[in-house]
Amino acid sequence: MSNEQYDVIVIGGGHAGTEAALAAARMGVSTLLLTQNVETLGQMSCNPAIGGIGKGHLVKEIDAMGGLMAHAADLAGIHFRILNSRKGPAVRATRAQADRQLYKRAVRAAIENQPNLRVFQQAADDLIVEQGQVVGVVTQMGLAFRARAVVLTVGTFLGGRIHIGLNNYQGGRAGDPPSNALAARLRELALKVDRLKTGTPPRIDKRSVDFSRMQEQPGDEPVPVFSFMGDAAEHPPQTLCHITRTNERTHDHIRAGMDRSPMYTGVIEGVGPRYCPSIEDKIVRFADKDSHQIFVEPEGLDSNELYPNGISTSLPYDVQVNVVRSIEGFENAHITRPGYAIEYDFFDPRDLKPSLESQHLPGLFFAGQINGTTGYEEAAAQGMLAGINAARRAGDQESWSPGRELAYLGVLVDDLRTQGTNEPYRMFTSRAEHRLLLREDNADLRLTPIARELGLIDDLRWARFERKREAIEREKQRLSDHWLRPGDLSEARQTQLFGGPLIREQRLAELLRRPEVDYASLTGLPGCGPGVEDAQVAQQVEIDAKYAGYIDRQRDEIDRHRRQQEASIPDDFDYATVRGLSTEVREKLQRTRPATVGQASRVPGVTPAAVSLLLVHLKRQGAGAGSLRHQA
Amino acid sequence: MNDADTIAAVATPPGRGGVGIVRISGPKAVEAARRIVGVVPPARTAIYRRFHDRAGHEIDDGIALYFPSPNSFTGEDVLELQGHGGPVVLDMLMAALGEIGIRPARPGEFSERAFLNDKLDLAQAEAVADLIDSASEAAARAALNSLHGEFSHRVTAMVDALIELRMYVEAAIDFPEEEVDFLADSGIATRLHDIEQKLQQTLASARQGTLLRDGMNLVIAGRPNAGKSSLLNALAGTDAAIVTDVPGTTRDVLRERIEIDGLPIHVIDTAGIRDSDDVVEQEGIRRTWREVERADRLLLVMDAREPMHVEDQQLLARIPPRLPVTLLHNKIDLLERDIPDDVDAERAELWISARTGARLDRLREHLKNAVGYQPTGQGTFSARRRHLDALFRAERHLLDARERLEKSRAGELVAEELRLAQNALAEITGAFSSDDLLGRIFSSFCIGK
Ligand SMILES: Cc1cc2nc3c(=O)[nH]c(=O)nc-3n(C[C@H](O)[C@H](O)[C@H](O)COP(=O)(O)OP(=O)(O)OC[C@H]3O[C@@H](n4cnc5c(N)ncnc54)[C@H](O)[C@@H]3O)c2cc1C
Ligand SMILES: Nc1nc2c(ncn2[C@@H]2O[C@H](COP(=O)(O)OP(=O)(O)OP(=O)(O)O)[C@@H](O)[C@H]2O)c(=O)[nH]1
Ligand SMILES: [Mg+2]
Repeated sequence: MSNEQYDVIVIGGGHAGTEAALAAARMGVSTLLLTQNVETLGQMSCNPAIGGIGKGHLVKEIDAMGGLMAHAADLAGIHFRILNSRKGPAVRATRAQADRQLYKRAVRAAIENQPNLRVFQQAADDLIVEQGQVVGVVTQMGLAFRARAVVLTVGTFLGGRIHIGLNNYQGGRAGDPPSNALAARLRELALKVDRLKTGTPPRIDKRSVDFSRMQEQPGDEPVPVFSFMGDAAEHPPQTLCHITRTNERTHDHIRAGMDRSPMYTGVIEGVGPRYCPSIEDKIVRFADKDSHQIFVEPEGLDSNELYPNGISTSLPYDVQVNVVRSIEGFENAHITRPGYAIEYDFFDPRDLKPSLESQHLPGLFFAGQINGTTGYEEAAAQGMLAGINAARRAGDQESWSPGRELAYLGVLVDDLRTQGTNEPYRMFTSRAEHRLLLREDNADLRLTPIARELGLIDDLRWARFERKREAIEREKQRLSDHWLRPGDLSEARQTQLFGGPLIREQRLAELLRRPEVDYASLTGLPGCGPGVEDAQVAQQVEIDAKYAGYIDRQRDEIDRHRRQQEASIPDDFDYATVRGLSTEVREKLQRTRPATVGQASRVPGVTPAAVSLLLVHLKRQGAGAGSLRHQA
Repeated sequence: MNDADTIAAVATPPGRGGVGIVRISGPKAVEAARRIVGVVPPARTAIYRRFHDRAGHEIDDGIALYFPSPNSFTGEDVLELQGHGGPVVLDMLMAALGEIGIRPARPGEFSERAFLNDKLDLAQAEAVADLIDSASEAAARAALNSLHGEFSHRVTAMVDALIELRMYVEAAIDFPEEEVDFLADSGIATRLHDIEQKLQQTLASARQGTLLRDGMNLVIAGRPNAGKSSLLNALAGTDAAIVTDVPGTTRDVLRERIEIDGLPIHVIDTAGIRDSDDVVEQEGIRRTWREVERADRLLLVMDAREPMHVEDQQLLARIPPRLPVTLLHNKIDLLERDIPDDVDAERAELWISARTGARLDRLREHLKNAVGYQPTGQGTFSARRRHLDALFRAERHLLDARERLEKSRAGELVAEELRLAQNALAEITGAFSSDDLLGRIFSSFCIGK
């Protein structure tokens, strides 16, 4: 029986667990990462890709707070693209196809070299609970580790069950055992548990594929970079992806196999994601569509496996073979691993505090897939937040958590806490009402100063960040100090640049606001340059000018709502004292325990009328104590 | 609301004969039925009974109706007693209810409960309040239209169309890999145009509803001595305004509330507009302009014997383009030629005499028509200023969305304007979350890998 004492213990070495452990250790507290298998640290269970719309935003935020994911993607990315590059900056997002092995290697290297962090390979079987608080972990072989805070990030492993056709067996993901002892133990605690499912496509041997029948999809040039500290020179060699499609024959095979689908025969109870449907789901729900795209993605530089993105399935293996071989280019394809679906336990995220600590079990933090999310990025972002707050708890500091107006991470946590989820939750930009403020390009400006205060940012990054921030300010100042006079340019040139002659002299900053003017051409005009060299600085200056009106409006909106949104509801608030609340709404609020009226208003089923009642009540109560005025 | 107390109120206006209705809402409605009627009537069925007080004395006889929760107006148990009315009888019924702990309702409390129990949306709840204090017959009808959800219905239809549009725009943004780049096709522009039209129609109806309920602001302006103050006095039937033959008599703004067949109108007399060195008069003229900017209609008073003066033309050039104007040729009693015909076009011209009152009836008729006053009140909504404001804001965001779509093809900014437009409308109909929107996207398009 060991009785080692740590500040923070993280259970699980996936995307949530590794970011949690790194964040806690970076903040200087002694941290233990306990995982089933050191070889699978940073393993990508499904698609070997990082980023995408909404997800790329999360990766940049993790990076801005000193996290690992962007850096690992830079070291492992073999095909980079900026999605939505023709739409505006707020919705542009970076996506990288990653070499699985390189990605794992990058994560493992970071973990092994992180001061204050130790790794131990053992499954956790039990939590040590004393006086209602979680104070440690017991492993499979009976070792006990004690800690001030424990972060649980065990992914799809709790009570995991894998389905291929009507066959099913226990597993945490293909090739890994499930966590049954821990699952059983957690079900005994006062936590609300439910089941979700997700799936993955069969993998294909690239030597058996005819790429000449597919469309090529090259990466972007110049190759994008994920991390603020990164450089395209860190990237491994780049490769191609391909695109092919399903056809009527494919769909016939799927329909013929439906009577042996675990989903459609009711064997699987867990709910799957609507936006990540299996191919059988797509055929059933969109029967009139006769073809679906498939992105054919390499699993790695040294690997012959391909990931056919778009045909996730849990149909029986013989059906999978027919389905795959009906597809153009896959006529002779060899399946190396069958596709499967997995069902697992997750915990109702409405039981969490904004810090990701359990409301019912102080000392226990939850992050990643077990909170009902899906995706590496969603997991990693939560992991970082849980790691930060576990470390702060260990140091007796108040918790920290970003608001919806500050970060996608804030949107994620707030959505989970107030709405809960009945399907795996994935990030989209449309979830963020302050989308124009929450951009990939300003993640560092939004979060790095806070992260620095939290103790997550080293001096090197901080110095570089400050240089950038100062350069932006300086250039903005220059553009608002300099004027362009109608006489400075020929009338023809004015018309060409501005769509008509200038009527009066104008500040450069004002001119940059016009949709038809860009930074490069503006600073190229006589007397208007030189512009800044640093492309990131130029981009910031330009975006700020283009979005200026909108950004002001969103800030106004935020300020206007802040007073109501932030009107805080005391921890021990008794909803029974609010006159007029329906029993249903009262129970929902009692259960969710929103920290603010804003959160309360986002709890499903809470009507605007109920919110006004709550506000009125708080106002009446606070009139004596002044709590509302204090908040404003 | 199961712990709420039970309330009662007389539901017929005081002093009206015929029937007197007492309405009771809350958990004690059942007890009230047992005590007063002697039995709890079957749900939603009228029974005829004698009503008794606690001591067993008969108070009245009439019909009792029982609506169990939640299928009632307030969502609570509701009992309705319809007797012969008369203040004394009704007082006795209320007293009998008081004996079993049922208290008189505060004004609007029934609607409030209905709203809190999600029986009414905000627009409907406000319509109930309007109905209670509506000034004219027509306004009452307009309020009824809203109550029946006519207004809510129109706004909801618009919101639905807007959600549909947003669904396409957001799908194009969040799923660029998915062959759903709707921003590039013309369907978006068409849909946007349809919503704009719906919004404008609703705005027109809603605006009239507001004028009917709140009364329009009718500003009288014109040169000194044209007879503005005389007109105010004639319309109001008082001598509220000082009338002299000294130009520049009126120095300050003067208001009178009048009614034409129940249609409320705020008549506003102003200082005559001319160049003046007098500081007081200058200030008066400044105030005139302020009133003109807020007016719902302008009456420009001129002397019928004279052609239009430059000052009048300048005034017409300066007023807000939206503001409708009626030209009034005053003092026809002094006119030495035949009185010309009235012109009833976009810019109406009427011939009157403020002093003798000649042809003022035509002016009144004209004003009623101008606000779309129809005794039936059909097709207009009682929209509060708040609603109007929300509709105006939504309109502006839709216009901006169109501009963003056409000029800069900036998808995220189109999306932002549409979001703001929907937020504005949601102030009338209630919230809609981004998750709901995603739900619509997923059920409409085959998306995801
Ligand atoms: C079949 C499948 C398909 C998927 N498809 C998609 C998809 O299409 N799109 C998408 O975005 N995401 C998909 N995912 C989800 C994605 O893999 C997860 O969201 C992400 O990996 C979650 O990260 P995590 O850190 O929460 O958990 P995981 O990455 O699952 O990591 C859990 C870690 O905990 C360890 N562990 C488990 N139990 C114990 C224990 N008792 N003690 C110690 N350590 C333990 C495990 O060894 C592992 O290291 C899929 C996952 C699977 C399995
Ligand atoms: N005969 C005749 N005289 C009128 C009529 N209307 C107004 N007058 C007279 O015109 C003079 C000016 O009338 P007011 O009503 O004071 O005019 P006003 O436009 O308010 O003038 P200011 O306040 O000075 O701008 C008075 O002597 C009125 O009696 C009318 O219809 N017929
Ligand atoms: Mg006057």
